[in-house]
Amino acid sequence: MATHKPQTLSRRRVLHAAAVGGIVLGSPAVLRLARAAEPLKIGVLLPRSGFFATAGQACQRGCDLAAQILNAQGYSVQLMNADFESSADIARTQAEKLIREGANILIGCFESGATNAMAQVCEQRGIPCIVNIGADPKITEQGYKFLFRNFPTSPMLVTNGLKAMGDLFAASGTTPKTAVLMHANDTFGQSMLGAITALGPKVGLPFTIVDTIAYDPKARDLSIEVTKAKAAHADLHMVVTRSTDAILMIREMVKQKYEPMGIVSPGSPGMYDGQFFKTLGKYSDYCITNIAWMNPKQELENMLAAEYAKAYPNEDYELNIGFSFEAILIAADAHKRAGATASSALVEALRATNIGKRVMIGGAIKFDEKGQNVDQAVAAVQNRDGKAVVILPTDVAVTKPVFPMPGWQQRT
Amino acid sequence: MRLSRGIVALALFFVAMAAAPLFLGDYPLAILILVLFAAYLGQAWNIMMGFAGLLSLGHALYYGLGAYLSAALFAHYGISPWLGMLAGIAAAVATGSAVGALSFRFRVGGVYFALLTIAFSEFTRILFDHLHWFGSSSGLFLPVTGRAGADLVSLRGPTVMFYYLLLAATAAVLLLSRILLDRRIGYYWRAIREDEEAAQASGIDVFRYKLAAVALSAGLTAIAGVFHAFYYNNLYPETIFAMGRSIELMLPAIIGGLGTLFGPILGAFVLVGISEGLTSLTAGLGIDGLKQLLYGLVLGLVVTLQPGGLWPWIALRLGLRGAMR
Repeated sequence: MATHKPQTLSRRRVLHAAAVGGIVLGSPAVLRLARAAEPLKIGVLLPRSGFFATAGQACQRGCDLAAQILNAQGYSVQLMNADFESSADIARTQAEKLIREGANILIGCFESGATNAMAQVCEQRGIPCIVNIGADPKITEQGYKFLFRNFPTSPMLVTNGLKAMGDLFAASGTTPKTAVLMHANDTFGQSMLGAITALGPKVGLPFTIVDTIAYDPKARDLSIEVTKAKAAHADLHMVVTRSTDAILMIREMVKQKYEPMGIVSPGSPGMYDGQFFKTLGKYSDYCITNIAWMNPKQELENMLAAEYAKAYPNEDYELNIGFSFEAILIAADAHKRAGATASSALVEALRATNIGKRVMIGGAIKFDEKGQNVDQAVAAVQNRDGKAVVILPTDVAVTKPVFPMPGWQQRT
Repeated sequence: MRLSRGIVALALFFVAMAAAPLFLGDYPLAILILVLFAAYLGQAWNIMMGFAGLLSLGHALYYGLGAYLSAALFAHYGISPWLGMLAGIAAAVATGSAVGALSFRFRVGGVYFALLTIAFSEFTRILFDHLHWFGSSSGLFLPVTGRAGADLVSLRGPTVMFYYLLLAATAAVLLLSRILLDRRIGYYWRAIREDEEAAQASGIDVFRYKLAAVALSAGLTAIAGVFHAFYYNNLYPETIFAMGRSIELMLPAIIGGLGTLFGPILGAFVLVGISEGLTSLTAGLGIDGLKQLLYGLVLGLVVTLQPGGLWPWIALRLGLRGAMR
């Protein structure tokens, strides 16, 4: 049977009580430190199957490597991966699922419809999200308070892409007088066309666009469109392609002996894809894409490139990898500065983001009041010997541009 | 007695569904919303194919018209989605009637009618890609709100609001189908489905009743489109009018049981259940595309084992004869 001693107030008891009291009063700081040690759970929502599977899987590789590299550097992140099967409807339920399973922040989604679905769920649940890839300007015009986008909008891509054309002509000493524009007729193609039409005159393009030719990006044959482009007798062939349509277009250009001064994209995928190089061989060379690209002069990029080559020797190293890496970097950096995984702390830290040591070409990563990184530069990337290399701006270029391009029959 | 057993089971089902939000979080509720979308659309499509025997492979057309018209009227003029819904229904009924009238007048039937429905759906998708008032291929966006209050007039609100709306719509279309099947029109539809020439010889105005099936099915499908627009808040022609959506829309009725009342609802549960189950099962394996492969295999298995659908088989074992229709 237990007996109880009468409670007396000794000096030792007072000191003990004071110590306990001190711990209790100081607990917010202690708890804050304890929380900082919690890894940041990042919900990665990507189209790893379905129509956008190739790009989604590339983005996933970038995220996986980012977690590996950043954790080794003292960050603390844990990925929770979800595949939305290239369907915006599924993206919404998967976003809900990731949040339910404890994701502190979401990253995605490569495709605009899915990105909006994710953003809405995050907005309603008060969870921050970072857009890794997605150029639709409307995404940051919806008044979302929890959304942050590192990727440039299509007007930004086009403005910088068109400006880069001027730099290209200046560097090569050859300026075309006319151009024909062939573009995929989908969400991306239309927004790019709108931006080119609106911004072209403002950036002072040195050439006139004599014809605009839209095509279905899923078309199996572009012979009619290429014939029409050839008939325009323009100096420059401008393109807004998506993926395999770029291959079809070049094949048809070779077949029809259509040899413009150059083939330049003011910011679209397709011509730097691995499949483009593999399928077209020598005909893939000299095509130029003005696009946000990895900065070979950045230490972090060199690290990523080396790790990527080691982990995925047979996969393309392209911008989806770089931007997905940076999305994880932004989240990890915010978590480190916030010292917490709470949504409000993360959002506050994300708003104060200022990352100078990054992977992509451009100024420090900072977000404006709409959550958009406005200082995302564009590089001119030219295909040379089956590889996309930076030719402009000169401070990050690894080689000089070749413009006008050699004719199809002059290639070895 | 058997019929009342079916009604009691049905009542219990809807009571359980109505009580679900009290016990479920946002993720299971989002899954149930997918189920209800599929169940509602399956029933709407079932009226045409299951009751009247008219195969439509382009129902995304009516879905998209309802979604786009209500969303655009709301986005541009602030017109209530309920009024927009009327416009969407009117457009879908008119388009469906035009497609139907063209086909039935020129005796385009069977697989050719199905091809015509695809053609109209694809044509509309391409058209909407170029209509700037509807956002063209860049998409049409609706303003997003937090999930605090439910504004039924503007259809702005939390997930649970859409859940109850879809549940009510699913119950309503089930009731409507039940009523129609017991009316003269229901008998005429089934007569046309079984043997069109015999039905005509019996004095049924085949053209009129086939057109009624198309118009009703199109109008009901447009209503789901409105809910889609205000639930997801963004519309793109390439996804709304997609061929894949037309296929998805048919599956609940085919898996559940064509021409049955409860089949599309059961089919919706089975399809979404298999899909979500496989997502969870395959998530940890890290093999991209495995889920779709297994999903296809499971569907193939279900269709092979129960070509008439799951509901007639289940209903027979439960002794629910009345509910088998």
